[in-house]
Amino acid sequence: MKKIKNFRYRHLLLLFSLCAVILSALTGCTSAKADSRIQITFWHEMTGPAQVQLTKFVKEFNQSQHKYTVVPQFEGNYNEAVQKILNTHGTSASPAVFQSMDISTSQIYSSGYTTPVQKFITADNYDVSKISAVARAFYSKNGQQLSMPFNTSQPVLYYNATLLKKYGITPPPVDPSYSDITRVAQQLYERSGKKVKGLSVEIYGWLFEQFLANAGESLANNQDGHAGTPTAVNFTGTAATTTMKWIQENIKHGSFMNYGSGTSASANEMAGFLSGKLGMFLQSSADISQLTAGMKDQLGITYYPHPDGQKSNGVSIGGASLWISNDKSTTVQRGAWEFIKYLMKSQNQAAWQAATGYLALNKDSQNEPVLQKLYQKTPAAKIPSQQLARTTPNNTNSGIFMQGLIQERTITQTAMEQIYNGKNVTSALQDAEKQMNSYVQTTNKANK
Amino acid sequence: MGIELASLSKSYDGQNWTLKNINVQIKSGEFFTIVGPSGCGKSTLLRMIAGLISISDGTLKIDDQDVTNLPPQERSLSMVFQNYALFPFLDVKSNVAFGLKARKMPAAQLEQRVAHALELVGLSELKARKPRELSGGQRQRVALARAIASDTKICLMDEPLSNLDAQLRSKMRSEIRELQQNLGITLIYVTHDQVEAMTMADRIMVLHAHEVQQIGTPSEIYQHPANSFVAQFFGTPRMNLLSVHYSTKNQRHLQVDPLLDYVLPMDIEEGDYFVGVRPNALEIHATAQASNAAIKNIEYLGTQSIIHALLDNQEEVRITTAQNNTFSLGERIQIRATAAYFVFDNTGRAIFFNKGDGEDGRTNYKQTVTNAL
Amino acid sequence: MDAPITNKQSQTHYKPKGNKKPLTVGLSYKKELRERLYALVFLGPSLLILTIFVFFPMLRTLYLSFFLTNSVGKPTVFIGLQNYFSLLTSTAYLHSLQATFIYVIAVSCLTLVLGLLLAQTASQKIRGISFFRTVFSGTMGVSVSVAAIFWLFMFNPSVGLLDQLANLFHLPVINWLTQPGWAMTAVVISTVWMNLGFTFLIFFGALQSVPTTFYEAAQIEGVSKRYQFFHITLPMISPTLFFVSIITLIESFKSFGLIDLMTAGGPDNATNLLVYRIYQDAFLSGNYGLASTESVILALMIAFFTFIQFKVLEKRVNY
Repeated sequence: MKKIKNFRYRHLLLLFSLCAVILSALTGCTSAKADSRIQITFWHEMTGPAQVQLTKFVKEFNQSQHKYTVVPQFEGNYNEAVQKILNTHGTSASPAVFQSMDISTSQIYSSGYTTPVQKFITADNYDVSKISAVARAFYSKNGQQLSMPFNTSQPVLYYNATLLKKYGITPPPVDPSYSDITRVAQQLYERSGKKVKGLSVEIYGWLFEQFLANAGESLANNQDGHAGTPTAVNFTGTAATTTMKWIQENIKHGSFMNYGSGTSASANEMAGFLSGKLGMFLQSSADISQLTAGMKDQLGITYYPHPDGQKSNGVSIGGASLWISNDKSTTVQRGAWEFIKYLMKSQNQAAWQAATGYLALNKDSQNEPVLQKLYQKTPAAKIPSQQLARTTPNNTNSGIFMQGLIQERTITQTAMEQIYNGKNVTSALQDAEKQMNSYVQTTNKANK
Repeated sequence: MGIELASLSKSYDGQNWTLKNINVQIKSGEFFTIVGPSGCGKSTLLRMIAGLISISDGTLKIDDQDVTNLPPQERSLSMVFQNYALFPFLDVKSNVAFGLKARKMPAAQLEQRVAHALELVGLSELKARKPRELSGGQRQRVALARAIASDTKICLMDEPLSNLDAQLRSKMRSEIRELQQNLGITLIYVTHDQVEAMTMADRIMVLHAHEVQQIGTPSEIYQHPANSFVAQFFGTPRMNLLSVHYSTKNQRHLQVDPLLDYVLPMDIEEGDYFVGVRPNALEIHATAQASNAAIKNIEYLGTQSIIHALLDNQEEVRITTAQNNTFSLGERIQIRATAAYFVFDNTGRAIFFNKGDGEDGRTNYKQTVTNAL
Repeated sequence: MDAPITNKQSQTHYKPKGNKKPLTVGLSYKKELRERLYALVFLGPSLLILTIFVFFPMLRTLYLSFFLTNSVGKPTVFIGLQNYFSLLTSTAYLHSLQATFIYVIAVSCLTLVLGLLLAQTASQKIRGISFFRTVFSGTMGVSVSVAAIFWLFMFNPSVGLLDQLANLFHLPVINWLTQPGWAMTAVVISTVWMNLGFTFLIFFGALQSVPTTFYEAAQIEGVSKRYQFFHITLPMISPTLFFVSIITLIESFKSFGLIDLMTAGGPDNATNLLVYRIYQDAFLSGNYGLASTESVILALMIAFFTFIQFKVLEKRVNY
């Protein structure tokens, strides 16, 4: 009996010691390596060429000075990252500096988890006038810069210039109206014997927002949130209605190709365009590197189209910005800011655009040799930068400062899907507006 | 309804024969048993008769009609399986009625048939029970009732008692036999148990190594086995086969050893032979001066004992004796012959002596064995 | 058949602990205490893990469902059952509910029927059938992402195999993933395809375990193949059928991967199943209160259907 007992205890002992070993191994991982440098954890969501270039920047920054070590960590897609940022705040796992997508701006801001970069801009007397005003405006509140715009793109219209030439179609002007696009789309569809679709507009809330911005119409009240928390949205104004009717008209004609929504949609759209089955499509300027690399035909680019009978107001931007967490020491925050400044340098922004297709936000970058070389090779690549440069920021083209923009996109995308499938434009938009308004009310109540 | 098997053969690959050249005529109302060790093809033969397995060669006639290529349901027979094939989700009554119901028999007739069948096997009381609520013997009776209800004149049974314990088995043996008599059906019964075959059958077919060894009544097969396989297969303990060499100079003496000597009624050719002796046909003398064997093991059975002894020529023999408690292990004994013995040639084939050849008329029967080894 | 008897026996022999004789109390009590201590030591770790990873999240979800949550996911305003009311009156949610039912019913039925059909086919003794057995169970080893890529390619509007086939035979081209009805069809097809490997294997195993003598007996009695299938095969494999149907039902209620990768709930919420909606509300919109409410409703629904299935099928299955 005694023997059995001993045997049992020995097993327990073994079990406990095993647990102890595992625990100590785990804690051992976190105990820091001896390093005099200050560690700056940097969370980002970049993949592909952008990730390569970003890693390169980090390496160069770490070599350029001896005080800080930036450690980049990939956090999955934009949506997932937002939740991770909000849920880890205040723990040792949280980042010092992080990249967060455009439409999370209001959410991150109202979490109160960040130090506005304005604090460092003022302290350093940093010259922000070099940085694109439209981009800055998107991430500012009451004249205060909340985060630094980083990977930035603008929506543009891409067309297959070779294909248009083949069928003897005059290309669209650089600042096209809806009817300019309709003309080209229909001519291409008919002259190709209905083999080539004229136009595609992905079911994507961002594009919907840009239609309103370019028409100079607010999507949310209180001047798209720049003058206060929005309490209602506007999906049923002239801009939205006109645009959706324009798309429906093209769908009815047959020249329009509906690729749907989601990641597969843009991939299918790109495939269709590259294989010469689609003539024109609206998409982010960030696609430009992929298009120039994969296309045999000549690529044409125009500004984002605007409604007939009015001038374009200019589109806002998309992408993400860099934020500094306030749960880290001032030295760490300082290091984060130094890293941001490094990224915004003229030559780095130029290299960024050349490598990724995201726009160089430093005005001086346009003169950097790396971009000059790019423009020489593909003159059309200049168009997005020009569109960005010529736009004067105002309250309707500086993004929407509102929580729940992900919900807004889900809802507008659903409305677009309904409209693309033939539902009445007005009633689809009205339904969406009603849904969003009730969501806005709840959100405001929860965040009071 | 008689059944005729004419050179029935089965091969799955066209090269190796699972069953070869089976010939027999089963008479109407006969209780016909197919017996053999496992793997001898007896179940295959039964399934060929049933139509569940196709016939590779030969003809099968039921009631003088060629049914070789007819599907099972057109051979108008019933079958009882070793595992009873009772559906666990149906009660006793529905199990018995299954086939009738599937063939859309009118309700009144069906009720009457099922009730009658259940009555015959004495299960009327339990008709609402599920198979799992029955004992092994009761399940066996349900399977019988199911066969009875189909009202066919031929019934095939595939080792129907092998899942039962010994006591129940002997009870069911007589019940099945009785049922078969009362219903007047032709029954083909497959078993590996020689006792079952002996006790139940009108005639027995012994199958071994893909071929028929012997066909005959139980007593024919026991008294006059066609070969050493059949001789050893029937009777417990097994018959002793003692190898001997015979040459003419022995003058009709088949000598296993000097003390164990058999006298032949007539001369046979010179060569190697086996003497077959049933264990009860050997005598033990413990008191004798000369001994020719030592006792290796004793199985005490009450009324008799089985003695395992090793002859001095290193052959093992089994002897049954009613002299209990008189022997001890290792004891030297003398084993002597009695008048009952069989002789097999070196291929195992039985040597028969014509009537009158024996001094006591013991081997007075000559049988033509067509399918012997 | 033995179980009830032994049960009865153990019941009659069982002596309640309260009736202990006073003499043995001290010893038994000590012994019992020690046994409990042992039980606690050994159960402790798993209880701890269950509490942390199962019980706490469950209760937390229930708790959150009564609240509005702010931008960082903290519950701020208690609203009672308001989340439940607003969901059950929201057309979008009801639409999801409807879509989920259509999806679940279509997927479950097709999976069961096709799985059984394949298993039945593979059970035939035909030359080369083992090749098909391997093929039929093939999707067992396919991950969701691989399946999604495969079917996205099949359904691709420009280069998809299905539409190219349609072109070849001059059939109208279907925009599989952008038309609501077809998108649902496409997702159902893909899910059923994914499920088939597992279902087939389970059914195949079940069919193999039905004694062949059952069919032989029926064959001799002149029972048709059809009757054999419905009156022997189906009842015999009913426990498996029951098991697979519950698994399939629950799994299809929980479908996420294929939806996310193929349609992301679109078009027009046609494939926005309840689980996907929960994901959207929680992890895209950060609306944890609402998402929790949806989770609670879904859990209740799955529990309800499983309960019904148990009640309805139990009787038929239990033999």
